[in-house]
Amino acid sequence: MGEGLATSRFAAAPVTMEDMISCRNLTRRFGEFTAVNGLNLEVAAGAICAFLGPNGAGKSTTVKMMTGLLAPTSGDVIVCGLNAAANPLELKRRIGVLPEDLGLFDDLTVEEHLLLTGDIYGITRQETKARASQLLHALSLEHGRRTFAASCSHGMRKKTAFAMALLPNPAVLFLDEPFEAIDPVTAKIMRDLLQSVARHGVTVFLTSHILSMVERIAHQIVMIRKGTKVWDSTVGELPQSLEDHYFDLVETPVVEELEWLGPARS
Amino acid sequence: MARARAILSALALAYRRDWTAFQSLAGNNFFLITAFLLRTAGIFVYLIMGLVVLFPLSTDPLRKIPPSRLALWPLDRRDRWVLRLASPWINPLTWGLAALAVWGAGRTVSVGLWALIAGVFAGTFLISAMPLPGGNGMFRRVPQFPGLLNQLVRKNVREILATLDFYTALILSLAVLAYRIFGPALPPEAFMAMTVLVVGAMSSYAQCLFGLDGEGGLSRYRLLPVRGWQLLLAKDVAFLSVVIPLTLPLALLPGIGAALVALAVGHAPAVEHPRPQTRWRFSTGGGLGNGVIQLIALAMTTSGIYLTSTWFLAAAVAAWAVSVWWYGRDVERVLG
Repeated sequence: MGEGLATSRFAAAPVTMEDMISCRNLTRRFGEFTAVNGLNLEVAAGAICAFLGPNGAGKSTTVKMMTGLLAPTSGDVIVCGLNAAANPLELKRRIGVLPEDLGLFDDLTVEEHLLLTGDIYGITRQETKARASQLLHALSLEHGRRTFAASCSHGMRKKTAFAMALLPNPAVLFLDEPFEAIDPVTAKIMRDLLQSVARHGVTVFLTSHILSMVERIAHQIVMIRKGTKVWDSTVGELPQSLEDHYFDLVETPVVEELEWLGPARS
Repeated sequence: MARARAILSALALAYRRDWTAFQSLAGNNFFLITAFLLRTAGIFVYLIMGLVVLFPLSTDPLRKIPPSRLALWPLDRRDRWVLRLASPWINPLTWGLAALAVWGAGRTVSVGLWALIAGVFAGTFLISAMPLPGGNGMFRRVPQFPGLLNQLVRKNVREILATLDFYTALILSLAVLAYRIFGPALPPEAFMAMTVLVVGAMSSYAQCLFGLDGEGGLSRYRLLPVRGWQLLLAKDVAFLSVVIPLTLPLALLPGIGAALVALAVGHAPAVEHPRPQTRWRFSTGGGLGNGVIQLIALAMTTSGIYLTSTWFLAAAVAAWAVSVWWYGRDVERVLG
């Protein structure tokens, strides 16, 4: 297991060696249930870290603690040098988040969501419009810029939430399942954008179930099972393909024959 | 036939659940005012409420099935005809109209009333069955507001415009305006009473300010780097920007005072016990007690400003400001 990872191993994280995310003995309990158990983790500036695990493993709970939305039961999370539990408001000014439920308002259009983000993060209207225009173009959202979120397809909604996370030029990006339920072209555009922002020093922390995409984009792989970290290394240090390693460590798929399908033809 | 019957059965279930949303009327302040204060004198107001409710009740039940799903089901031409002909009868209003037609046959006045209701029903039914235009023009044309909360305020205005409370208050306000222009002079107290009625019609919304944001909206609020009082302020500015124009034909300053007090009292249930709301329904407040307190407070403020002194307006502003500060802290706690 690749524990105790040195941040200097990240060849593709060229900006600084400073940890942008650091968890120390991070634990969160809900009554008797321990969702996250003593998690220790460091992510360097400019790194793309993929946080993997099955549904219910504790990924979303960890992300919520890292983004200041949930207080840990014990342990610390330091993001951008700030204690996430103690400075949630200041932290929110420095990070961008793509939440799992996307967090969009039905009564705002795609473009209005971006203008809202610019206003709230104190970006001038002119600069907001310039950034919004570039993001809408890059994400092929120009045709739907005046569509209300309630009328958007899921892909459009995801791209809108992604653009909202990027627009303030955050130091750290948290993305909860960014590649799920979008078309391959959009996935490639998002992948390219993420690689670009990482080259500019933005740290990306993402959760995903699409292992092929993760293998192509991530510098650091962290796996979690039942709230406990079971793997932490660079992609290059994986002993086998990410998919095989994931199935070995985290979750072995069991396929049952559906007898009611009838006999197999070949 | 079995396929059509299965779909009709599911539609009936969905429609029945949708009808329960109209129970929200019982938790609405406007219903409280008319039931307790006007009683039999409130026939005109009940007619307005009936008319407002008639629109969402008259939509095509078949619209509840997404067109893509309807197209995917293996239905033959006969199934589709059965669905088209039978689905309007899922709506109890269709049966009511049919009963009224039988009962009113030969009675001239009843036939006229029936024709009016049937006309509204048929018009709304046909419009709702047509594909929606891409525009949503009225909602788009919400004005810009100064400051960093601009888009939040605009969104909140759109939410208010999607409640039946607003349309009831609008009809009342326009009726008074028409009366002022074309009718005989009204006694000054009438404007005060109508101000209470109009602000009262909108006041339930002040008890459920976050009700139409949905889970996605609440999730976004948690992520935005703004304070709780700012979120509350964006809600209140939207409410005031809708209510103040409605009180223009009535008594403006008492109307502003009443709206501020409605908000000051409404913040507690809106923040501490947020209730999800349904679009195109009356807003449901936080309970009978909250509604009564809110109505008494706004009626007293209106009469205080109208009959005594504008100092009551200053008191209303102060009460509202304290409430925004106090419950703004609660917003942060509740949103986590």
